[in-house]
Amino acid sequence: MDIVSSMLDLMRRLPPTKIEENVDALMQISPDYADDLSGNVDQPLKLRVDKATGKEYLACVYNQDGESYRSPWSNEYDPPSEDGPVPPPKLRKLEIAANEAFDTYREMYFEGGVSSVFLWDLEEGGFAGVVLLKKFLTPASPLEPSGSWDSIHVFETVERGRQAHYKLTSTIMLQLITRRESTEGSSSDAREPATWKHDGEISLSGSMTRQTEQDHPVQDTISHVQNVGKMVEDMEIKMRNLLQEVYFGKTRDVVHDLRSLDDLEKARKQRELQKELVGFIKR
Amino acid sequence: MALISTEERIEAVSKFLLQSPPGEINDVLNDVRTLIGDDESLETGVIPALQKYNLEQFTVAEVPEAHHTSIVSSTAQILGEKDRFLDPRSKTSFLFDHLSLEASDPQIYEPDQASEPFRSALEASALKYLDSHFNDGTTSVFATPNSTGHFVIQIVANKYNPVNFWSGRWRSEYIVDLDARKITGQVLVNVHYYEQGNVQLETKHKASITLPASIVASSPSSSANKVLALIAGQESTYQESLGDVYHEMGEKTFKGLRRALPLTRQKLDWDKVLGYKLGAELSASKGVFGGSGAST
Repeated sequence: MDIVSSMLDLMRRLPPTKIEENVDALMQISPDYADDLSGNVDQPLKLRVDKATGKEYLACVYNQDGESYRSPWSNEYDPPSEDGPVPPPKLRKLEIAANEAFDTYREMYFEGGVSSVFLWDLEEGGFAGVVLLKKFLTPASPLEPSGSWDSIHVFETVERGRQAHYKLTSTIMLQLITRRESTEGSSSDAREPATWKHDGEISLSGSMTRQTEQDHPVQDTISHVQNVGKMVEDMEIKMRNLLQEVYFGKTRDVVHDLRSLDDLEKARKQRELQKELVGFIKR
Repeated sequence: MALISTEERIEAVSKFLLQSPPGEINDVLNDVRTLIGDDESLETGVIPALQKYNLEQFTVAEVPEAHHTSIVSSTAQILGEKDRFLDPRSKTSFLFDHLSLEASDPQIYEPDQASEPFRSALEASALKYLDSHFNDGTTSVFATPNSTGHFVIQIVANKYNPVNFWSGRWRSEYIVDLDARKITGQVLVNVHYYEQGNVQLETKHKASITLPASIVASSPSSSANKVLALIAGQESTYQESLGDVYHEMGEKTFKGLRRALPLTRQKLDWDKVLGYKLGAELSASKGVFGGSGAST
């Protein structure tokens, strides 16, 4: 296996809660492959505030230039960057429209959170972009569950006459954490029935990635926002179901595979008894 | 970025090994081998990490000359001998190789006569509990040297299914202190699901209970049965409560993060989303953008 695929295999196995520190460690171990790593491993999105508009936006590798990040609202880098790339004027116009559209999408589905869209031209023609969405729930009390959702939708498109071909790669990172503590009274009095005191934490975290390629008609430039919008919406609906299935279904099944709530020994004896009875009747 | 030494790199990959999901330590080790590219330094360098991982994760060993498995943990470690571990059930100790996970060189271990009756009673009850609730479980029950009232029950169950991209581990440990009439314990569950993704369940659960005087006063087998009944009840309650937490996280947190559909119960009308004014404005520039490199 080569170094990059070993790095990616590692990131698929190590705890998603430690993704940032593990990516940093990998970059220290193999500095020559730092770019491959940051380009291929999705990391939790960082929240930043646009100094010009006061509006929040999301920071990731796609709007990064060194230590600076470009805001989709003011188009400015923070801290200012002289040679930080910005989309050409026509693409920037589309980027503004896309940011407005996905801001509405964000409000409709997330009822809060932050969204950002960044676009760039492709050397080989066409353009590419990323749609970012992030929301987190901060618990009002320590025993309420907390969680965060990060969507990273990267797309590429080329126009072919009245059609455009789209390739979408979507990653959703989801983290859910619940703390539990028992409030039952102590049973230091030996006459009282014994009760357990307990406390603990349950964390479900991770990411899933899916891809799709589709063709859609393009009437004018703005059609791209509609097309990508619909594709992202369908993908998120599909992936939300998938996440629900894996997070709440699959992991629970594995726990029940490890330990059975039912008495396995009793079930075994019952089966044996049944076999005996069947044998007895047959005789 | 400054280059770091081989020792520093091995130290960094040791941290990766310690984070390995259930049953995937060899996969992580293989990845790390490619990154380091120096098998000799790696194999000697990561031994401390492998040892730590095996002890923390309650790694299961096939006990030599016995037809059962036992748990390799810090409790099982023979005092003063780093790689020799005790299997109280067969009353033998064995050498354990932390890389190949093989046990060898069995030696007879003389148990403490004063604590052995209650220890073996706990072991018998623990094995019965294991049969009743675990599919692929191992348990080891230890007495504490120079003490007659202090015992450690360890349980581990593993399920590895790499073909379907999942694995899981259940670990529990209980310290039974007859003198203080107390059981303190913990349950740790890890599940990894990695088909086109990486999703992990990690739970930590601590529990403690004061033992009624009647339990302590009974015969070894009767009180051992009661201790294990308490543990079984606790673990089942915990497993059921996980279901409640799942329900709460699904209903509250998951839905609170992102709705399945907007309030309108319909998908977005993207024509309306764009707005007429905005749409009109961009339509005015129709073709201009399309002609500047967007067409192929």
